Amino acid sequence: MTIKKTTIVGQSFQRVESNAKVTGAAQYVDDLQFGPNLLHGRLKRSPLPHALIKRIDVSKAKALPGVRVVVTGQDYPGLTGLYLSDRPIFAVDRVRFVGEPVAGVAAETPELAEKACDLIEVEYEELPGVFDPEYGASPEAPLIHPNLGEYACAPFIFRRPGTNISNWFKVRKGNMEQGWAEADYIYEHTYRVPQVQHVPLETHATVAQVDGNGKITLWSSSQSPFAQRNLIAKSLGISHSKLRVITPYVGGGFGSKAGVSMEGACVAMALKAKGRPVKLVMSRAEEFYTTFVRQGLVAKIKMGMTKDGRITAMQNTYYWDAGAYTEYGVNITRAAGYSSTGPYYVPNVHADSLCVYTNHPIGGAMRGFGMPEIHWAIEQHIDRMAEHLGLDPVQVRLLNCLKDGQETVTGMPMHPTGLSQCIQKAAEAIGWGKPSQPSGPHKRRGKGIAAMWKAPAMPPNPGSAATIRFNEDGTCLVNIGGVDMGQGTLTIAAQLAAEGLGIPIEDVRVNTVDTDYSPYEWQTVASRITWSMGNAILAAAEEAKMQIIQMVAEVWGENPQDLDIIDGNVVSFATEESIPLKNIVVYGMQKPDGTWVGGPVVGKGRFMPTYVTPLDPETGQGPRAVVHFTTGAQAAEVEVDEETGEVRVIKLVSAYDVGKAINPDMVKTQMEGGAVQGMSTALLEQIILKNGQPLNPTFTDYRIATAVDAPLEMEDIIVEVPQDDGPFGARGIGEHAMVPTAPAIANAVRAAVGVEIDSMPITSEKVWRALREKRGANGNR
Amino acid sequence: MQPFDYVKPKTLEEASALLLQHNGQARPFAGCTDLLIRIERGFLHPDVVVDIKALPGMREVAVQPDGHLRIGAAATMNQVALHPAVLERWPLLAEGCASVASYQLRNRATVGGNLCNASPAADSAPALLCYEAVAHIFGPAGQRSVPLEQFFLGPGKTVLERGELLTAITVPPPAPGAVGHFLKLGRTAVGDISVVSVAVLGWPDLGAPSGTSWHIALGAVAPTPIRAAEAERLLGQDASPAGVEAASRAAAAAARPIDDIRASAAYRTDMVRVLTRRGVERVLAEMRAS
Amino acid sequence: MRHEISFTVNGERYDITVQSHHTLLQVLREQLVLTGTKNGCSEGECGACTVLMDGEPVNSCLVLGVEADGHEIITVEGLATDGHLAPIQRTMVELGGTQCGFCTPGILIAAHALLQRNPNPSEQEIREGLVGNLCRCTGYMRIIAAVREAARLQQADTLN
Repeated sequence: MTIKKTTIVGQSFQRVESNAKVTGAAQYVDDLQFGPNLLHGRLKRSPLPHALIKRIDVSKAKALPGVRVVVTGQDYPGLTGLYLSDRPIFAVDRVRFVGEPVAGVAAETPELAEKACDLIEVEYEELPGVFDPEYGASPEAPLIHPNLGEYACAPFIFRRPGTNISNWFKVRKGNMEQGWAEADYIYEHTYRVPQVQHVPLETHATVAQVDGNGKITLWSSSQSPFAQRNLIAKSLGISHSKLRVITPYVGGGFGSKAGVSMEGACVAMALKAKGRPVKLVMSRAEEFYTTFVRQGLVAKIKMGMTKDGRITAMQNTYYWDAGAYTEYGVNITRAAGYSSTGPYYVPNVHADSLCVYTNHPIGGAMRGFGMPEIHWAIEQHIDRMAEHLGLDPVQVRLLNCLKDGQETVTGMPMHPTGLSQCIQKAAEAIGWGKPSQPSGPHKRRGKGIAAMWKAPAMPPNPGSAATIRFNEDGTCLVNIGGVDMGQGTLTIAAQLAAEGLGIPIEDVRVNTVDTDYSPYEWQTVASRITWSMGNAILAAAEEAKMQIIQMVAEVWGENPQDLDIIDGNVVSFATEESIPLKNIVVYGMQKPDGTWVGGPVVGKGRFMPTYVTPLDPETGQGPRAVVHFTTGAQAAEVEVDEETGEVRVIKLVSAYDVGKAINPDMVKTQMEGGAVQGMSTALLEQIILKNGQPLNPTFTDYRIATAVDAPLEMEDIIVEVPQDDGPFGARGIGEHAMVPTAPAIANAVRAAVGVEIDSMPITSEKVWRALREKRGANGNR
Repeated sequence: MQPFDYVKPKTLEEASALLLQHNGQARPFAGCTDLLIRIERGFLHPDVVVDIKALPGMREVAVQPDGHLRIGAAATMNQVALHPAVLERWPLLAEGCASVASYQLRNRATVGGNLCNASPAADSAPALLCYEAVAHIFGPAGQRSVPLEQFFLGPGKTVLERGELLTAITVPPPAPGAVGHFLKLGRTAVGDISVVSVAVLGWPDLGAPSGTSWHIALGAVAPTPIRAAEAERLLGQDASPAGVEAASRAAAAAARPIDDIRASAAYRTDMVRVLTRRGVERVLAEMRAS
Repeated sequence: MRHEISFTVNGERYDITVQSHHTLLQVLREQLVLTGTKNGCSEGECGACTVLMDGEPVNSCLVLGVEADGHEIITVEGLATDGHLAPIQRTMVELGGTQCGFCTPGILIAAHALLQRNPNPSEQEIREGLVGNLCRCTGYMRIIAAVREAARLQQADTLN
């Protein structure tokens, strides 16, 4: 691969939309104006985690003046789901989690809609629930989806009808007996991760309207406008061409706004609203437990290591607390399976990753897609084994981490990767091995490190497309289907288009998504947009550029190979002629003979990976499981209060191999934001569930890190080992930024005060309790 | 949020009458940082909210001629926390008020609201208990005053009867040389609801065996904010490191916390010990330095 | 249940009728269509709805619209003067303090207010001044840097 010297790619431009965001001009769904015609939607929700619906009576709600629409599961019995269609828009005969919608109301005011929901009577027959995934996977557990075998399902998802297991991904590699025999030390332990929530500052918001021709428009705060169009159209049995999804600015996603969660309910109400728009916005409480959460995990790790630190075998079992519907979670389970060893070369592997239905909130995609959860277990496990063997955790990681060409857990040769560099640089930046002074009495400091890997988790063939159209003045419009939810899609698109076309970035405008006008994009997930959409934009730029160059070459009578576009002008290296793009990109050019050539320039490009192969269902082995892995490491320094158990993160270092940083400063902002989100989940976050009832669905009791809790210092290190199929060598960074944070902090806490915290979050009280137990074990208080 | 009416009376009599009229469905309304949330969550369905902020003296913070601090019940947390006289003479109270939530919330949240909600975790309460503040109440039977220690009856419960409202808190000046500190443990570093809070006030007292006298109050570890009398007594006897440790244990013994989603009773109890010891050590160090 | 109120928002006077149970946030967003101010939680925890009321920041989700009668409100739309961004708006752009942008209006108001009352805040004062404004994207570091830089710009402006 040859990489051309770039002038725009690799530069840290400011975000193209930030002026709109600092003046209040940026519009999000709830900011769009629909006039007095707007109806306000509310959902009636289940108060029970698992029950049969015996009767729903909506008559009182319908009779309330000002109520225009009341819908229930009887109106829309179709099922939806990205990989496994297991989920109704409204519960039909059974509710499976607290907060499941059973009816929807649209009324003239939000107050009326709320009151009408209170007037809907639902009679339930409560069923025994499943509140633990390991129990849920057992034969004794009550069945949550008796019809699991009848649901539509992607071919790479292996469900077990007659159980609560909606996907079971297996790895059988090498010879386990030999692996254990070679080990000098074998250690087995169980780790837990609770369900947490993404907490985008903007909750899910939608408006839906059906016009006189039956065309539906959905304004949606979404990472997946095209996937929403696809899933909702299919579940309603309508043509894709009859559904239009418009996504303006999005106030954070982190995976919560991937796929479909509450959007179908809004469309369902709009279909009965006689042409009036219906708005449905989640309250913060609804956001916490009724849209998507991150799946919980029970991880059982057994690892063998030689006395010099080489990993000989791993046997891992992952029980995913996937919640009531696992339509999205089945693929997280798969990703956890094909990444189950962490970023290490392990010759002998036995892994089972099980997606288990529970009567908990619905697990969906969240930043990291299973990786923060499994790395919580693996990366702590390695440190504990290293200490037992008297080895340095950094050296153990450097010894075992995947090197170019080594086989991954699924048998795919690892592509060139800067993982070792990342580990080394993170360790160096944190001052590995150098003690630092605590700030006062009863405080202890410690340093920890964790490595990671993550591939874009997606079907083998998710596509991207882009178009570039020129304006008369030589500026251009880039249309994409990728969503900017804060991570910087619009800016990256502008940089790639400008670089590809040879024009200044100021001359590029990038539009937000409207599925009627934007070209296709599978979804803005999996940290795949810079890579996949980026390739499509470069292809579109190339096509547009060729249209321009061929036109000019014809008029000038030159060889197109002698022409290029530089800073908005077509220049000839042969004749040193030059002409600005203005006018010629729309009106074409007049030839010496008086005739014309050219016309409005339109470049189109597309990209789809074509080389991912299926994996064997029994062994998980195959030539190429994924497109690529982004790798990296984080190191943390913490200070622990030995009396209160409080953990203060002093410094967090992130080092990732991003292939090529299109915008280095924005790469660093991803690293920082991800690390603090990772820190917040590590120390604070958990949806507290008691028999399926969420006990803390408010910011008062679901605390997230504030500006005071953010680390005192952060350092972000970019490593660039190019990706062969990435635009200018780039690969993704969005999700990776929070994958190793929690175990790095846990390892630092352990280094500081010698306690092991198996379950996230590392609350002050857990540390205090562990310290007390440790003192008790040592015979003093 | 379900609709309610809003009235803004000009006199205490009018306010009291309004609270009586609506048969319990009228709620006094000051900073509305708590009331509105409870209405939004559907826990309360008032017919009317009675804005008490325009009542005479309700928003004033001032030192009275007798040297006592008078805080109008609708004075905001920031008014108190940033008041020069409070910072100078009642700094423990300033610390307590400044620890509540965020700056913008403290611009609305009131001291009266904080006390009348009667949360065991109310952050203005421990300091006011240490200073032996007095609550002034107006109602159908006229004015009455209650020592703050007797004001709270339990979580969400106060001595206020129907038609009564808290009008002001008065705080006597502390003893000469008094030093106080408010220590608070939350889940996040700043701005959380207290998981445990401890207010410590000490002053030189030649009559006491230790040469010092103490008031110590605890938040979030009992049905109401409480004083830790035994700890105070022990410190009056002995303020040596051993005495401080014993007093801290006595404070922990005074706590009667519950397990909830924020922390367990066992953790809270031990944190009372730790925070009391740290608070007393800090006060002692500052008393020695001055 | 309806009240006539007069108040100024971003320097413009409004005489409108509000419902007694509507918050200032609702009045600003729905009646005045000033949608820059955001609703992130309705409970005064996230700070996305922060506005200035008589120069002091408040959570507009916990102020009733009727209480704004006679008061002066500044929202994010009113921070720029004559088309010139306020220092904190400039530094948030320049230092990358905004990502999804949903918390940004509240952060700008809170930071602006902090710099008004404390023109030269320490790092800890900046962090504590922002504790009522949650951000899930940035990790806060760039925002803290933007406030620090805005303080420097403001002081330079004052000196000139």
